[in-house]
Amino acid sequence: MEKFDVAVVGGGVMGCSTVLHLSRNQMRTIIIDSGALCREASGTNAGTLTLNMTRAALIPYAIKGWELWNNTEKWLCGGVGTRKVNGLSLAFTEEEEELLFKRIEARQAMGAPIKFISGRKAQLLEPGLNNSVRSAAWCNKDGFTIAYLTGHAFRRALKQENVSVREYSKVNKIEIEKNYFKIIFENNEHLKAKRIVLAGGVWLEEMLNWLNVKIKIKCLINQLIITERMPPVMKTVLSIANGLLSLKQFDNGTVLIGGGWQGIGDKKLGGVESIPENLIGNIRLACHVIPKLRYGRMIRVWLGLEAETADALPIIGKIPGISNAYVIGSVHSGYASGPYMGWLLSQLIMEQEPEMPLFDPNRLINK
Amino acid sequence: MTKIFTNDIKKVDLVVLGAGPAGVAAANVASKEGAEVVIIDENSSAGGQIYRAPPNEFQPQNSFKSDEFREGEKQRNILKNSNVKALFKHRVWSVSSDLVVSTVGPNGLSSWHARSLIIANGALERIIPFPGWTIPGVIGLAASTILLKSQYVLPGQSTVVAGCGPLLIAVANGIIKSGGKVSAIIDLNSKSDWIKAFPRLLSRPDQLFKGMSWFANIMKAGIKLYGGHAVTNTKQVDNVLRISIAPINSAGSILDSKNQKIVEGDCLAIGHGLFPSTEITRLLKAKHIYDPLKGGWVPLIDDDFRSSIPGVYIAGDATGISGAFSAVQKGRIAGMAAVRDLNVMSSQKYKAKIKSELIILKKNENFGKAAVRLMKFRPELIQTITSETIVCRCEDVFRSEIDEAIESGARDLNQLKAWTRCGMGPCQGRTCSEAIEAILASKVGSRELAGQWTGRTPLRPVPIEQIIGKYTYEDIPIPENAPL
Amino acid sequence: MFNFNKKTIFKYWGGKKSKQSLRVAGNRVVRQAFTTLTIDGCEIKAPVGEILAVTLFVNGKLTLKYSSRIKEPRGFFCLMGSCQECLVIVDGIILPACQVFVQEGTIVKTGINK
Repeated sequence: MEKFDVAVVGGGVMGCSTVLHLSRNQMRTIIIDSGALCREASGTNAGTLTLNMTRAALIPYAIKGWELWNNTEKWLCGGVGTRKVNGLSLAFTEEEEELLFKRIEARQAMGAPIKFISGRKAQLLEPGLNNSVRSAAWCNKDGFTIAYLTGHAFRRALKQENVSVREYSKVNKIEIEKNYFKIIFENNEHLKAKRIVLAGGVWLEEMLNWLNVKIKIKCLINQLIITERMPPVMKTVLSIANGLLSLKQFDNGTVLIGGGWQGIGDKKLGGVESIPENLIGNIRLACHVIPKLRYGRMIRVWLGLEAETADALPIIGKIPGISNAYVIGSVHSGYASGPYMGWLLSQLIMEQEPEMPLFDPNRLINK
Repeated sequence: MTKIFTNDIKKVDLVVLGAGPAGVAAANVASKEGAEVVIIDENSSAGGQIYRAPPNEFQPQNSFKSDEFREGEKQRNILKNSNVKALFKHRVWSVSSDLVVSTVGPNGLSSWHARSLIIANGALERIIPFPGWTIPGVIGLAASTILLKSQYVLPGQSTVVAGCGPLLIAVANGIIKSGGKVSAIIDLNSKSDWIKAFPRLLSRPDQLFKGMSWFANIMKAGIKLYGGHAVTNTKQVDNVLRISIAPINSAGSILDSKNQKIVEGDCLAIGHGLFPSTEITRLLKAKHIYDPLKGGWVPLIDDDFRSSIPGVYIAGDATGISGAFSAVQKGRIAGMAAVRDLNVMSSQKYKAKIKSELIILKKNENFGKAAVRLMKFRPELIQTITSETIVCRCEDVFRSEIDEAIESGARDLNQLKAWTRCGMGPCQGRTCSEAIEAILASKVGSRELAGQWTGRTPLRPVPIEQIIGKYTYEDIPIPENAPL
Repeated sequence: MFNFNKKTIFKYWGGKKSKQSLRVAGNRVVRQAFTTLTIDGCEIKAPVGEILAVTLFVNGKLTLKYSSRIKEPRGFFCLMGSCQECLVIVDGIILPACQVFVQEGTIVKTGINK
């Protein structure tokens, strides 16, 4: 039976980033996923790297993540189509403007380079905007990636670092032995690892349960809409003051509409379908912001699962009560900060002091 | 909020998707039994592909009216005189798991909540790419029939007709009848393939006779017929298409690629058989099985055409390619099964009525089986897809890129899509799925292992203008604010 | 662009490249009514009931758009609304020409993604 220094269960951006850093430090590592790498939240999200929509508390981490995604040649094999563009969060009403002030304040306090600008200045940065825009929060450390390219890029990087990659393998349980963990698959095969990292996204609740640790993880069903290729209608990343729109146009001309509008689905079935009012509401909001969108056609709607804890903050750190066991996930808009979060956890695993504070899972036990 | 839908979402007993022969038969029979039925089709009238109506403003002379035209008129009249609510020019863009059918129509969006759903959306045409297949002037065989039968336009001054199946002969004959010229017929099937089909074709002597008269017309016109040949390449020189053809064996393998012949024309009408459209059944996550003798992937159904999804029935070519004649019986059985399951019809009545349907079905199915064998996919035909050939037309993905992705580890269709963008364009893989699935299957071992693309809404692209309707900013039902 | 009147441009199109003879003749089919629409700036007469993709075709417009990455000329392929190759701009909106019936005054532009 094979024995690894670290086994990471869950092949999304969190797990992949963690194991990549560990393997570069001569650890014998394996990453396991029930499907293919980065095909769940990490491959289905909108790819937004915005600070406008990141929770204030996570701004410092998102800034680091933004830097990493803009330097993929240095640490990731092949890029994920990162584009550095201006980000604007918009206000169309007085209430939204008030909300905008609050959000800018909170994020500036955490070091985000976000400025309050007038509607007119916003239109200079984004000529395609609806004329009725009142004001905006402008961030120049913004942009996006092409999420579905993430899996392919990590796969190449992991292979290069000799990380064992075990895809299409579902783990049924983990048994704690004297000096190691026994990871048992659905087909009854198993392997040994000195340390484990649970990085299973929306399935973290089940995974922690294997070790008898009870933490409730909510599963959000986020709607995403893509258009066919269109002539250029926008050049920034856009959102609304309340955080409920994400809008961008890729180099290939397709426009991606997101913002966390909910659909129907669950952990077992995945994203099943959209709720008509939410689908139409989401698109109406996007068209209000960029009126020229109405000349295109929507060609696909999908739903990505996203994990959220009770206080909407991450769980990253040692699993309480079990040595050599770690957890990482539930970061909320975690794709942007993912590579940095993985780095922080790898520091902890290598018994170094993490550069920035982690997020103790203990606070959420049985809550 | 401003109403999204132009109607209030009503619950109806039965919604039938597709007004071809199967859908119309299902709708009629269910309505006669007392069920409230809605039939939806994106065309202007009933008929599907085979009985597709020409516009009302075009008047064919009596001598020019084909059998299909007359049969189509018959079906359209029966539907008109029934109690079925027919929604034409309505495009279904979504079917939810609780059977809410959403459409875009001339008056905007509407929604229908079905207690039972019959999916009769027919088939799509398979095309195995070859260098030059994207040149304007290369069109499908099905496209040619639409030109001839419902627009009364010839596909070209001199058309090369290629591919396989009865459609090949029908198109060639249709061109001649309309006063056009066929420069050559390139048939994947050899003479012995047609002879093998003969016994089954005998089960419908009237159709066999018709087919033979078409064949006679073709012979009379002196058209060169290349049996057992495939198109391997097409080039455009001035306004002429220079089409290379090579002999193939029964598996579709190219024999003697060095001695290819050239045929010329200003249009190449080509199609490699039909396969059931699984857009809606994939969206609903129904179970499918792969059956080459039914045209490929088909939804798993029981004897009464129930799918693996409760309340959802399949009829016509969507159950497996078997032609228009079988479609009517399949539609009737599915329609009756639906009303029986709704308790609108008793079990005894059902058992009595389907007896006769099943007898007619068996006879027609036999004929259909011969047709589908002539259209059977030949796996080695993918040899015509050279490295420099575009496979996904929407996203310009080359065969070489697909091969490379498979080499570097993509082993299922959805992974292949993420790595190459094939299937991500507006057609969502309808045009290239057969080719790409076959390429992947040749590497991973089977079509079952290669898999199918995940179905998502919208079923067809929807203009954003039509989806948003008229609204104000205050109308938008913005959910709870994101956390600070 | 051209200084010719619109009738002349119609004739120009109606020259070498025109495929209007492909419409099956009146001794077999009578087309009862006609309408006028604008295609790439030119006024074109078409029979009511004709599909836009067909009108473009018989008036010599085989290339309707250019493909996404390599910008290859493309024309209609399936005529059933499936393949999405016949995309043109109809009164500002991108639509498959095979799903549009000709109507009085429609403004059509071809050549997307050139």
